[in-house]
Amino acid sequence: MTPSFLSISAVRKTFGAFVAVHDVTIDVPKGEFLTFLGPSGSGKSTTLYAIAGFQDPSSGDVLLEGKSLLSVPSHKRNIGMVFQRYTLFPHLSVAENVAFPLRVRRRPDGEVRRKVADMLALVRLENFADRQPGALSGGQQQRVALARALAYDPPILLMDEPLSALDKKLRQDIQTEIRRIHRETGVTILYVTHDQEEALHLSDRIALFREGRIEQIGTGEDLYLRPASEFVAGFIGNSNFLPAEHLETAAGAATVRLADGSIVSGLKTAKPFGKGQKVRLMVRPEALSLTPGPASAALAVEIVDTAFFGDRRRVVARTAGGDEIDVRPTSDAVEPVGAAATGQRIYFDPASAFLFPV
Amino acid sequence: MLLDYDRLGWLRVALVGFTAAVAAFLLLPVVFIVLLSFGSSRWLAFPPPGWTLKWYQQLLADPTWIDAALTSAKIAAMAAISAVIIGLFASFSLVRGEFRGRQLLRGLLLTPMVLPVVVFAIAVYAFFLRIGLAGTTIGFVIAHTILALPFAIIPITAALEGFDKSIEDAAIVCGASPLQAKLRITLPSIRIGIFSAAIFAFLASWDEVVVAIFMASPTLQTLPVKIWGSLRADLSPVVAAASSLLVGLTLCLMIVTALLRRKLSR
Repeated sequence: MTPSFLSISAVRKTFGAFVAVHDVTIDVPKGEFLTFLGPSGSGKSTTLYAIAGFQDPSSGDVLLEGKSLLSVPSHKRNIGMVFQRYTLFPHLSVAENVAFPLRVRRRPDGEVRRKVADMLALVRLENFADRQPGALSGGQQQRVALARALAYDPPILLMDEPLSALDKKLRQDIQTEIRRIHRETGVTILYVTHDQEEALHLSDRIALFREGRIEQIGTGEDLYLRPASEFVAGFIGNSNFLPAEHLETAAGAATVRLADGSIVSGLKTAKPFGKGQKVRLMVRPEALSLTPGPASAALAVEIVDTAFFGDRRRVVARTAGGDEIDVRPTSDAVEPVGAAATGQRIYFDPASAFLFPV
Repeated sequence: MLLDYDRLGWLRVALVGFTAAVAAFLLLPVVFIVLLSFGSSRWLAFPPPGWTLKWYQQLLADPTWIDAALTSAKIAAMAAISAVIIGLFASFSLVRGEFRGRQLLRGLLLTPMVLPVVVFAIAVYAFFLRIGLAGTTIGFVIAHTILALPFAIIPITAALEGFDKSIEDAAIVCGASPLQAKLRITLPSIRIGIFSAAIFAFLASWDEVVVAIFMASPTLQTLPVKIWGSLRADLSPVVAAASSLLVGLTLCLMIVTALLRRKLSR
């Protein structure tokens, strides 16, 4: 078997008795944009630092094109990195910042000048070459940091929550820039974030971390449409969870009884459940509707609140069992419903719902 | 804010008056000395009966004064350079190091600032006598380096604490060795702190008199020692002139520091 481009092999990192990363294994093909997503403290940054060489793993290995990186000191790994905080060298101009990695590599002046111009053009900051970092906005600083990290054509680019200090609008603009730069350069990117929207927007694949382990790895669609666990379903996108009791499964379609006694059948399930086992039923807010569809299950609810969000409405409903349900119908799909409207029903296609063990 | 200046009302007048009184209390003796150095009275009478520059002429004509000033400058420069170099290493370990007793070490390095100078002076003198460093330039520089060290460590540690280590890490990922990253990125980034350290360390030695009296020999005298000696021998206005020049140079250094800091931090 040919070794994969970048191979993170059973990497484990402990701090005293605390295990920050549990034997994480990922193979990354060349040119992939892979995101490490997860809540803080889930081990995603620690794994990234192990690749950068800032933290040696307690065990396991990191292989680039079949060769171990672990014995190579950080400054010789030839890896690009953009940090969470602004790390431009404060006493050097934008151009000198981008030139720095080339200067320490003792590249000839002409090549340095050419490459700096190329890189600043790539991040669309050609006119800022002579500025000092202090005179740039946060977004511009991170773009210069990106240009600096790519100036020496590293095979891998690591990005550690590079946009977390920026405001939302700017974040989306730079995400688009990062996608373009990934397309244009073809560099392999490992990106750390706790923002699921950012992960969905940017990545070819997402590795969702939880307590030092990878909970699920796959495309954004895999994680959103086929979550492997309740944690994944809860972390990616919005989800409603309803307690239920499993009655039976026949031909991959399960039947459950909800807390208010209603029966829902035709639910997809990958895992076998026992009769009477407590489970959780998950439905996405946008899969719920206030009008019945062709193959709908129905829930008796009262409407607690409705709000208008432009393209969608948000309706908060409460079941007889006291569980709040978030419904996101498109704005034109419903007439606004008054608050405290009792005796309403909401509908969903059982095929769009999931069952998870408690 | 609770104590907003704009909302103090009549208290503002009291505050301004009190501040002015404190400033006057601190500055008047210096102003007094400077005025006396231009006065024509041999006996330092105040107010001076007339004005003259002859004490400055006498001062500049006397090679022992010039010699003392040059000695002071030389020793202060050497003490400042050694204090900054040692202070840099010490600050890196105090700020970046993770070892037991770090706070203890910080305290130890700052003790020269709080230890009664005369105690330190006697101890160093006794020790230097024994190892043959008393009355030598080297001994003088070592003693003043120790005294200047806290003044170097405080601004350098402050600058280093304000410097985000991620920036150094970024330089390392860019391909700079850890040493290169410190020399090319970290040190230039904290240059204002290093510069302040050098000035403060220089001044700590430049106007130091207690240790200097113990370290001095007939052939090795700094300006403050010479002033002290002259005061005891005869109370001539030349001493006032020398003191004024000492104050003037200190003032110049402080102004240059302030201007450079403003320029560098922009």
